[in-house]
Amino acid sequence: MEQLLEQARRVSDQSEVFFQEQRSDSVSFENGLLKNIESRDQSGISLRLIREGRLGFAYTRNLRRPEELVQNTLATLPGGVEARYALPERFSPPDGGAYDSAIENLSNTQMVEEGQRLAAELGGKTAGQVNLLVYRSVTRVRLINSRGSDLDWRTSNYGVHLSLMYPGSYNAVERSWVAKKFEPVPEALPAFLLSLYNRSQTKVRPAGGRMKCLLLPETLYTLVWRIQSAASGKNIFENISPLKDRIGEKIFADNLTLVDDPRNSTRPNARGVDDEGTPCARYPIIEKGVLRNYYYDLNYAEKLGVPPSGHGYRTATWGGDAIATKPRPALEYLGLAPGQQTFDELLRSVDRGVLVAGALGAHSGNIPNGDFSFGLAPGIYLEGGEIRGVLEEAMVAGNIYQVLQNVIDLEDRVHPASEGYYPALFLDDVSVAIG
Amino acid sequence: MFPQLTAILSRIGADYADLRYEVKKETIITFNGRELTQVGTNATDGFVLRVLKQGGFSSVNFTREDQAEAAVRTALENAGLLAGHVSQPVSLASVPALEDAFSPSLPEDPRRVPLEEKLALTRRYNEIPYHSPGIATTQTQYAEIIREKFFVNSEGARIREDLITTRLGGTITSREGTLTQTVRVGGGGSDGFDRLRNQEGEFEKKTKIALDLLRAEPVEAGIYNVILNPDLTGVFTHEAFGHFSEADLIEDAPSMRERLTLGALLGNEKVSITDDPTLPGQLGFYRYDDEGVAVRPTALLRRGVLVGRLHSRRTAAAFGDPVSGHCVAEDYRYAPIIRMGTIYLEPGEKSFQELLFDLQDGLYLVNALGGQTSGENFTFGAEYGYRVRGGRVREMVRDINISGNLYQTLQRITGVGLDLTLSRTGGCGKGQLNVRSCHGGPHVLMEQMVIGGR
Repeated sequence: MEQLLEQARRVSDQSEVFFQEQRSDSVSFENGLLKNIESRDQSGISLRLIREGRLGFAYTRNLRRPEELVQNTLATLPGGVEARYALPERFSPPDGGAYDSAIENLSNTQMVEEGQRLAAELGGKTAGQVNLLVYRSVTRVRLINSRGSDLDWRTSNYGVHLSLMYPGSYNAVERSWVAKKFEPVPEALPAFLLSLYNRSQTKVRPAGGRMKCLLLPETLYTLVWRIQSAASGKNIFENISPLKDRIGEKIFADNLTLVDDPRNSTRPNARGVDDEGTPCARYPIIEKGVLRNYYYDLNYAEKLGVPPSGHGYRTATWGGDAIATKPRPALEYLGLAPGQQTFDELLRSVDRGVLVAGALGAHSGNIPNGDFSFGLAPGIYLEGGEIRGVLEEAMVAGNIYQVLQNVIDLEDRVHPASEGYYPALFLDDVSVAIG
Repeated sequence: MFPQLTAILSRIGADYADLRYEVKKETIITFNGRELTQVGTNATDGFVLRVLKQGGFSSVNFTREDQAEAAVRTALENAGLLAGHVSQPVSLASVPALEDAFSPSLPEDPRRVPLEEKLALTRRYNEIPYHSPGIATTQTQYAEIIREKFFVNSEGARIREDLITTRLGGTITSREGTLTQTVRVGGGGSDGFDRLRNQEGEFEKKTKIALDLLRAEPVEAGIYNVILNPDLTGVFTHEAFGHFSEADLIEDAPSMRERLTLGALLGNEKVSITDDPTLPGQLGFYRYDDEGVAVRPTALLRRGVLVGRLHSRRTAAAFGDPVSGHCVAEDYRYAPIIRMGTIYLEPGEKSFQELLFDLQDGLYLVNALGGQTSGENFTFGAEYGYRVRGGRVREMVRDINISGNLYQTLQRITGVGLDLTLSRTGGCGKGQLNVRSCHGGPHVLMEQMVIGGR
């Protein structure tokens, strides 16, 4: 890597080498039975350089000859991609504690046994179909640049994803467990899924209309995507965000606080720098309903004349390959602050409404505008504080700038979910179409 | 490359093994707004090894040749672990061990078009929307993805195939006050660079639609009779029905498998659906899948009756069905899974005007904005639509999302047009991305659809 950086340094004003190596294993169970074991061992390297205000970028999986990668990177310069920003100077973040060496002792046999234990526990108490995934991964990243940055970090991840599927469909109630090393899934997690699933077997078809909505953490990405879009430095720069020039304004209900928290070492993957080597820290986006910050990578911070906020990540909308992806502004460590009531208390307080347990098609609405409209997969109908059954065809729709004014409360704890750590969210007055 | 691959395979003591090495070459040019943000060509490569031993079937992905020995060890260990635990040992359907090398002959091979010319064309299309006031931003990308695949297996197959996919398009966003509206634009295919030329009219048309949408009314949530345009018919066919033709998705879901028994009457007799990746010139075209099986056209639904499924060698054996050649990976980072190739609802007999007459009052919905399914239920968005009254297309509406139940909707297709159109861009995400996922159909009339509105 040093040799590659040295060669790049000779032909550029600034240069950066990003190396990533990842080993992972996953064990999947379908219908309660072991289905598949997959292993991966992948590495790669990418080179970014800046010369006379222009960007060069190239990558490879197999660095056979460093000079070839430098040449490929230089070949992209005439395209004329502008880069006016400065790469970060040397910075030594404290150890994020994101790696636990105990992960190395975990065998695929142990993961199969844990899957079997969970499948038996769930399968013995429900007629629902049990699907689950047990996985672990170890990732090492090294990032060096021509301004002296030399960062090297490792993360370990262990996780379990449990789902109980409704007959005839892939609609399911789901929950995840994540850690830095093997830890048995707590009993409360399968118990929660069983409780929801076993009480929602009857198919019901009540009238649609405006009603209360209790969204499970697993479905909150649908609304958070719209906030991520509006607060992105890229969309502020491109003038398509409804939140432009509104820092300090009250946008949502008082009880809504959305924070990016990369250094929270109680969760896996904690870190002190982003994928560009910019220091990152706890960063509120929404605090008690008030818009506090937009988020930036180096590029969009420079364009907007503000300091970078440590949100340059090598991700794409649908995941992406870190090696092949240039950094872009992203919120990778989001969490919604918990509320006051337990999930059961929230559920018991619904006079008439829908429990949104799964979402379908959340990407199809007008995301920059804050509009959403998605199918319920499943939607569970609630009346008089009780679960009445599962809906066959239903959609919820609205605009986040309206519905997030009506946050009655949030659950008193957060759960790892798609793209963040969220509690259940209880909304009033949401449009629900039922077929 | 074949000698290195067969040398690795020869070291594996198993009932079956295959190894795929792939070089993936990507050329990407991206404009965000009027600013060029990415340009360049890169090549990456890697290996996927699969091993079947005593009924345990496992895969390992690795990126460096020096990892091959460890990968073989891991694959054998995983297969052994599976063999000791699975209730149904895996077997693979028999197929001929083929030897072939296939690279498509394209009228204009994108590899021979200079990067400067690709950049100039992308820049020219990206500028078109800005000729109209009211356009806030654009996102335009040229993407050329070339997979150079080498496949060998322990049965003697040796297959080399190139898949060349291009796409030039993106989004156009209009803005008035705080309201923004975004439409998709562009196209592509697997049949060469010339497909991307002369698309100025498409960019002009979509610019106008983005601006018109600012004045369109949000549709009211409710139940409507609707006409879908061919793109939406294709997304419905892919999302709502097609995924449940993929045998791996229903294999371990007994309740779905029971309902999707071959011979089951699922839809209106007007509805027939086929997947045919052999159709020449289409985005979904390929000759061999990533198990070395020659792909074949597969009839899935005939006059409402389920008649076929898409298979891998493993699921074909498990279901006792013929192989279909639909086991495809995104690239060298993934083991293959069952994918649709070119799936379409077959055309019927009605003209668009006849469908409008049959509809009388309802909605005419145009172009898909993504879609998703979870078995019985599906949801997809429409880019825009129009109210229809008295059989005539009236004012534009927006914020349209459609949700439905597969079985009910297949019954509710009461009119099928004669104008089959297949998609020019794909992007199905079933754990892996399939940029060549091609779908289509004619205009169709559907009754009693749930529209989410806003």
